[in-house]
Amino acid sequence: MGGHFRLLMQVAFRNLFTSKINLLIGGIIFFGTLLVVVGGALLDSMDSAMSRSIIGSVAGHIQVYSDDSKDELGLFGNMGGEPDLAAVDDFSRIKPVLEKHPNVKTVVPMGTNGALITSGNTVDLTLARLRDLYKKRAEGGETPGLRENIDSLKSHVRQMVALMEEDLVRSQALLSESARTPEEKESLVRARSEAFWNTFEQDPFDSLEFLENRIAPQIPDGDMLYLRYAGTDLDAFQRTFDRMEVVDGQPVPAGQRGMLLSKFFYEEYLKLKTARRLDLIKQERDVNKKTIATDPQLERWVKENQTQTRELLFQLDPIKTRLAVERLQKVLGTQEPKLEKLLSTFLATDDANFDTRYAQFYSELAPLLELYRLRLGDSLTITAFTRSGYVQSVNVKVYGTYQFKGLEKSALAGALNLMDLMSFRDLYGYLSADKKAEIADLQKQSGVQAVARENAEDALFGEDSGNSLVAEATPGVIDEKDAFTGALDSLRRDDLAKRIYSQDEIEQGVVLSAAVMLKDPEQLPRTMAELQQSAKDAGLKLRVVSWQQAAGIIGQFVLMAKLVLYFAVFIIFVVALVIINNAMMMATLQRVREVGTMRAIGAQRSFVLGMVLVETLLLGFVFGAGGALVGSGIMAALGSAGIPAGNEALYFFFSGPRLYPSLSAGNLIAAFVIVLVVSSISTLYPAFLATRVSPLKAMQTDE
Amino acid sequence: MNPAAKAPIVSITNVTKDYNLGKVVVPALRGVDLQVHPGEFISIAGPSGSGKTTLLNLIGCVDTATTGVVSVAGQDTKQLSERQLTNLRLHTIGFIFQSFNLVSVLTVFQNVEFPLLLQRKLDKAQRRERVMQLLEQVGLAGHAKHRPNELSGGQRQRVAVARALVTRPQLVLADEPTANLDSVTGQHIIDLMKELNQKEGTTFIFSTHDAKVMNHANAVWRLADGKILDRLSASEAQRAMAVGGH
Ligand SMILES: Nc1ncnc2c1ncn2[C@@H]1O[C@H](COP(=O)(O)OP(=O)(O)OP(=O)(O)O)[C@@H](O)[C@H]1O
Ligand SMILES: [Mg+2]
Repeated sequence: MGGHFRLLMQVAFRNLFTSKINLLIGGIIFFGTLLVVVGGALLDSMDSAMSRSIIGSVAGHIQVYSDDSKDELGLFGNMGGEPDLAAVDDFSRIKPVLEKHPNVKTVVPMGTNGALITSGNTVDLTLARLRDLYKKRAEGGETPGLRENIDSLKSHVRQMVALMEEDLVRSQALLSESARTPEEKESLVRARSEAFWNTFEQDPFDSLEFLENRIAPQIPDGDMLYLRYAGTDLDAFQRTFDRMEVVDGQPVPAGQRGMLLSKFFYEEYLKLKTARRLDLIKQERDVNKKTIATDPQLERWVKENQTQTRELLFQLDPIKTRLAVERLQKVLGTQEPKLEKLLSTFLATDDANFDTRYAQFYSELAPLLELYRLRLGDSLTITAFTRSGYVQSVNVKVYGTYQFKGLEKSALAGALNLMDLMSFRDLYGYLSADKKAEIADLQKQSGVQAVARENAEDALFGEDSGNSLVAEATPGVIDEKDAFTGALDSLRRDDLAKRIYSQDEIEQGVVLSAAVMLKDPEQLPRTMAELQQSAKDAGLKLRVVSWQQAAGIIGQFVLMAKLVLYFAVFIIFVVALVIINNAMMMATLQRVREVGTMRAIGAQRSFVLGMVLVETLLLGFVFGAGGALVGSGIMAALGSAGIPAGNEALYFFFSGPRLYPSLSAGNLIAAFVIVLVVSSISTLYPAFLATRVSPLKAMQTDE
Repeated sequence: MNPAAKAPIVSITNVTKDYNLGKVVVPALRGVDLQVHPGEFISIAGPSGSGKTTLLNLIGCVDTATTGVVSVAGQDTKQLSERQLTNLRLHTIGFIFQSFNLVSVLTVFQNVEFPLLLQRKLDKAQRRERVMQLLEQVGLAGHAKHRPNELSGGQRQRVAVARALVTRPQLVLADEPTANLDSVTGQHIIDLMKELNQKEGTTFIFSTHDAKVMNHANAVWRLADGKILDRLSASEAQRAMAVGGH
């Protein structure tokens, strides 16, 4: 037996390097193994990097939500908007059940939703500020300081109206279809007239209303923004997701209402567009080494900066306009008096002057401008549809911005803004059975059918606090129809913003899901099953899903990407199989005489079969090992250098700016097994053919 | 000559062989009777297409007769399975081919050792001894480590002779063993075969066109058109060739 096998090995080994066909097959096996090793390791590394991104940003290892939900949980949103989830009535009831499990580290309450916010156009914002000043004057009387502010804002508004008229004239001059109706033109003429401004002070609120209703809507720069937010226990969130860090501003004080905007969202949607574009150009130039001259995207941004200066012009009142003109004249060394022209020239950046212009923009112009449409510390009005179909508005103070370390540039990780649970519940507007009963109770007590707003508030927020659930009647929640105007209400709103909620208050109430972080992630499937069971035992109708399922469309996207890649590998191997098969057939045909001779001098068919198989296996081993070795070398090199995430979308999948892939023993073994299986399968038929070679072939003389 | 002393090692009775070429049937052998006894050194002669190769293939158990009985070493080959036929070839018959048919990737030593490995009878040391003994007999002991393509045609055929004889077969078949060699080298191979025939008592059957080669045979069976013409002794054959050859 030993000699027999040795002979097989000898023949096979000798054949290995003498036959050109074998070298071809070996080459295929070599590259096949290389591909599987490198591709598999990259895919696995990306998978685990992405899982770190998902787990570390919002999902945790496991998400738990109500089993009554119509849709499946999709933390990153699903096709066609937010998933329709049933609420978990009381987080404090599910928390202990989940926390009981020995492998559970933390449980964080959560609810994601989306809402529209109006970021407001510049005219609107200026008018609102002017209105505030007049209000202040009505309450506390006029002071010289107040008068000065009012006058400054008034001249700012006049300047804006002048700019608008200019636009109107320009569009008429171009004979373009004027978008403005005669009515709008008429309003503009009135707002431009000396008469209007002379009589402004007679009834300032009336004048303001005219401007707000007739002039402001003619400015198109106000945006409706879609804001995705997650209501959560912010302290628990920070503790659990340790990649989260506050970038600007401050964290929401413990127990208080408030929001942290995602830094990405803040920059992308709330920053002055000109400044944002400059930032993006700088980033592309510095990080990705692109140039304005060669990259069409950068060129477009420069063009947009040149032509879209309105946003800047509107922001500047006459005094700031003069300052800006002086500074730009100095920087550009011209006498051009018109700010619009100056800006356009200044922003016509090229690769040579970009860096200086960028610095000049931030040192000279930025101090005169509001760089963000929302200042940190200001309140944001969020309008959302409640469960019961009402439109609900809630004012939430924005304390700062946050990001996940390593995912700064990822639009996906940066899509979610964080909000306290109280505000979330207000916007969600869900009435649990308990709360409904409570309100009914209140209504009975006060003896009226529709309980008055004040009564409900007092009753709910008097002594036995903790009920912020009745959205329709919660202070701080603005009903679209009658916005708060009275001093009393704003006082109450302040109270609410400053109120410190106890942990119980935060936890006793509606959430949409709970994120569960595990001590040992390896135990995920088992822990999931056990949590599902203990929820059932506790009489809770909960769905327990892994982070992958919870990531919704993103989780599926990665699965799809994997499937596509595996499919590609499969196709490659099918092709390899066919090629190897054909090559082996040729090799067999070439060796018909040799095989025939062996058969004639007494080799059994099994010997011939063994010979061909051993040869292929040896081929697989030798070249497969070579491919695996080279693949390991490549992975080691990539692992230490890292693969840069060339575009922002990849940050999420790389879990940072670079992916440091690693190679596992599993990758190597899988590659080896696949290669050996493929090469053996592809040899079966040629091997069978070889056994059918007749010993008569030995007798044939050379052609 | 005393052919009836022992039981024949090859006995062919009324054998026909047809090659079926679709529509046409080519009768290669048409009723052949022939007996070869142990220790004989037999030549099969005849013009091209007369059926020499066909006959040797039947005796060598690499092909089967259409009708008639071919029995080798007392066994009717028709009754044997493919496996048994292979074993018969391995243990009883040695082959020498016209084109030598060495395994090109193996050394001279490994080529000669090949049948011994298939037999699995001897251990490594025994195999070594046997192989070296045969290489010495064919005068190639110094070339044990060479590859076939490093040898001349005559040397290759000597390796083939060594390979055919290494298992000490009762019967060695050689289909035109000298056809690819020049006459001097061919002469040497025949001399070598004859020597082994006399020393070891191995039975040889070989086919040839060459009258000089035929000289060495104890007897010559002449084939024509798929039939045995006659069986001549060496001297008869020489005379017949001398007449017929001119
Ligand atoms: N595989 C085959 N298929 C069909 N016909 C064959 C085959 N082998 C041989 N024949 C035919 O059988 C007859 C005998 O052929 P064979 O090869 O036995 O003759 P030979 O005496 O060996 O001739 P040569 O001296 O040329 O080698 C010839 O007519 C030949 O054409
Ligand atoms: Mg022939």
